[in-house]
Amino acid sequence: MSNAIELTNVGWKAGKAFELRDVTIRVPNGSIYGFLGPNGSGKTTTIRMFMGMLEPDHGEVRVLGRRVPQEMPRILAQVGFVPERPHLYPALTVGETIRYHSSFYDRWDQTWAEELTARLRLDSERRVSRMSKGETGKLLLLLALSQRPSLLVLDEPTDGLDPVVRRDVLTAVLDYVAESSATVFISSHLVHELERICDWVGVLDDGQVVAELPMQSFKNGIKRIHVSGAPDAPGDTPFVILNRSEGDAFSAVETWVVRGWQDPMRQYFEGIGATVRGVVDLDLEEGFVELLRSSRPNNHHRG
Amino acid sequence: MYDPMLYVHWKQAKLAMIPFVVAAFGLPLLAIQGLGPEPQGLNLDETLIWLPLFPALAGAIGVVLALTAWNWDHQQGHVYALTLPMARWEYAMHKMGAGVVLGLVPVMAFWIGAHLASASLTLPVGLNAYPNQLTLRFLFAVLLSYALLFAMAAGTVKTTIWSVTGVIAFFIAGSVLNDFLALFFPYFQEADIVAVVGEWLFTARGPFGVFTGNWALIDV
Repeated sequence: MSNAIELTNVGWKAGKAFELRDVTIRVPNGSIYGFLGPNGSGKTTTIRMFMGMLEPDHGEVRVLGRRVPQEMPRILAQVGFVPERPHLYPALTVGETIRYHSSFYDRWDQTWAEELTARLRLDSERRVSRMSKGETGKLLLLLALSQRPSLLVLDEPTDGLDPVVRRDVLTAVLDYVAESSATVFISSHLVHELERICDWVGVLDDGQVVAELPMQSFKNGIKRIHVSGAPDAPGDTPFVILNRSEGDAFSAVETWVVRGWQDPMRQYFEGIGATVRGVVDLDLEEGFVELLRSSRPNNHHRG
Repeated sequence: MYDPMLYVHWKQAKLAMIPFVVAAFGLPLLAIQGLGPEPQGLNLDETLIWLPLFPALAGAIGVVLALTAWNWDHQQGHVYALTLPMARWEYAMHKMGAGVVLGLVPVMAFWIGAHLASASLTLPVGLNAYPNQLTLRFLFAVLLSYALLFAMAAGTVKTTIWSVTGVIAFFIAGSVLNDFLALFFPYFQEADIVAVVGEWLFTARGPFGVFTGNWALIDV
């Protein structure tokens, strides 16, 4: 088993407003996989698909080598889940919530749960309904981690949290990964957050996967190139052109945003009679934006 | 995992259940207060006004237990329940079982109240007290209303609306159909489909017969 999560050509339609279209995702075992996409792109729907809450119209879903939804209880016994919106019972206290949750998991680590309660500064007597968003987020993470999961699924885990809580949450996740080699799947629209911790990245836009690759390739491979003298039809390129825009009235220098760039590819421009004026690294957020821009139907690669 | 589910259901239901427990205990005692000086002058008619409250209380207990069983899950869109490592039917059965156990608390209070009420009377020859039988009827009524509402509340709001609409539509359509058929077939001028179904549902042979049967604590 080499992938913790496998979605193959998964499709799902919710009326006319939204659909997942042939989503194929491979989350390698032991990786920290960042699932990026703008709000409304289908990230939570995709997660619900492999968490067995929604059944795809077509396609195949496997988690930890088991079929979804047929083997869901056995899968969920090994999956820690932090949902986008808190789902806990409001009238229970933190301590009661922990006791309730722990009764469902054979691998529950009570010692670690207590340690995390102290470390995340949670009050066992406090009611869930009276907790702040940050405290609820920390409790959800505590529950997910104390299960000792083989797969941790975090849906926008730090959305709306203050920087201190966000750091606490991410540190707890990284500590767990370091000692357990569990797989982590994090969905987020906060690109910088994933840049620091993920080793794989998948990008979803409008219900379609537009990229899935190692984080390093994503970060290094997307460049902004200033080119002069390029023909209108550039022919077969050794890289993928995400965007191409003309210079202003005073400059003949075009800007190309490309994916899969390596330095020896400068020779390609010589071959078409163009000159590379400069190559600029894009950070993950800029790369992400360019990737989304290029994947949308009204992009013409020019202008 | 059953014990924590029972505890969670109790946390949800306790505010509503405490008055019900008190009522279940007190109702049999209240029902005998109007009886005349005993033993010669027992006036059973005085207890009749209390009798409809027994099935009404049982039904209300079942409804409250069923609604509180699913209330928090509905509020959270069932996301939490769906992420727990157990089959959905197993989760529903545990939840159902927790409600049954909680339903036994007011039933027990009712049983004690009925026995105390019976013991406080000296019955003339020919009259008997039926605290155990009445408690059994009370238990069945609680379980029936609980099971029915539990099944309805387990579904989505849409499912519940469809179910209730279906029942109402059946009675309306049945009545209209009956009137229509009566124009052509004399048999339907005397027979009434809706009345027949209603009678079957609520008489001793029907599933809801437990609510309309004999609820007398003191009887011949």
